[in-house]
Amino acid sequence: NANKIKRTPDAKKSISLPVSRVRLIMKSSPDVSSINQDALFLTTKATELFVQHLALSSFNNGSGKDSNTLEYSDLAKTTEENETFHFLTDILPKKILARDYLKTLEQMQEEEEEADL
Amino acid sequence: MASSSGNDDDLTIPRAAINKMIKETLPNVRVANDARELVVNCCTEFIHLISSEANEICNKSDKKTISPEHVINALESLGFASYITEVKDVLQECKTVALKRRKASSRLENLGIPEEELLRQQQELFAKRTAVTSLKAPVRLAAASLFTPRNPRPAPNEQGNHVNDS
Repeated sequence: NANKIKRTPDAKKSISLPVSRVRLIMKSSPDVSSINQDALFLTTKATELFVQHLALSSFNNGSGKDSNTLEYSDLAKTTEENETFHFLTDILPKKILARDYLKTLEQMQEEEEEADL
Repeated sequence: MASSSGNDDDLTIPRAAINKMIKETLPNVRVANDARELVVNCCTEFIHLISSEANEICNKSDKKTISPEHVINALESLGFASYITEVKDVLQECKTVALKRRKASSRLENLGIPEEELLRQQQELFAKRTAVTSLKAPVRLAAASLFTPRNPRPAPNEQGNHVNDS
């Protein structure tokens, strides 16, 4: 299965993300035509570093640190505070709205129940 | 939510790969499920970001294929310069390994060419052996040991030549 994490003998001991999948994602970008194989390796490695960076940054700057948990809100917070992560803003707000909305709903329900008593 | 429509936009890095990376980066830390899902999607966003930027740089350079140089410049201009050193190391390693593979395969090719030569030589050897069997045994055996065919065969028997059965 080409999409499983490959530990192929030719090299990528230092790469754990599936290069083939990265390539597919790159090619689905508008206008991107051909990608040199080495450029693909670079992008894959950069993506790995990004995951580590995002996870560490979110955990260290977030409130989840006290409870030893990485929460969604930690990620949202680090995205807001860190300029390099601003490109992620687009994929965040909807979820935040939903969470907030659900919380608001819950609160409203609790208030209604209390009012009924 | 994951879609089964097979749409290009739903391409993501496999969840398991991300989970593994997060675990290695934050060992013993609990990670909320929606946080994991978000990281998966952030990866896709990141890849698109780098691709687009590298592609633009590539277009400006009049080259048709996105090169490692384009990717590195993209990382730099997008604020990910801190990744560059480590990313370059991987490139170096890949080149080293690729070089080793090329050397290894060319060695194999070098064996292949003399193979035809060896075959020719083998034919010659057996022709010579025929001549040698007329000599007395000890001399014949000594002579035979001078010719080492590719497929070692037992010494010729007393009755006559070894028939080449290939």
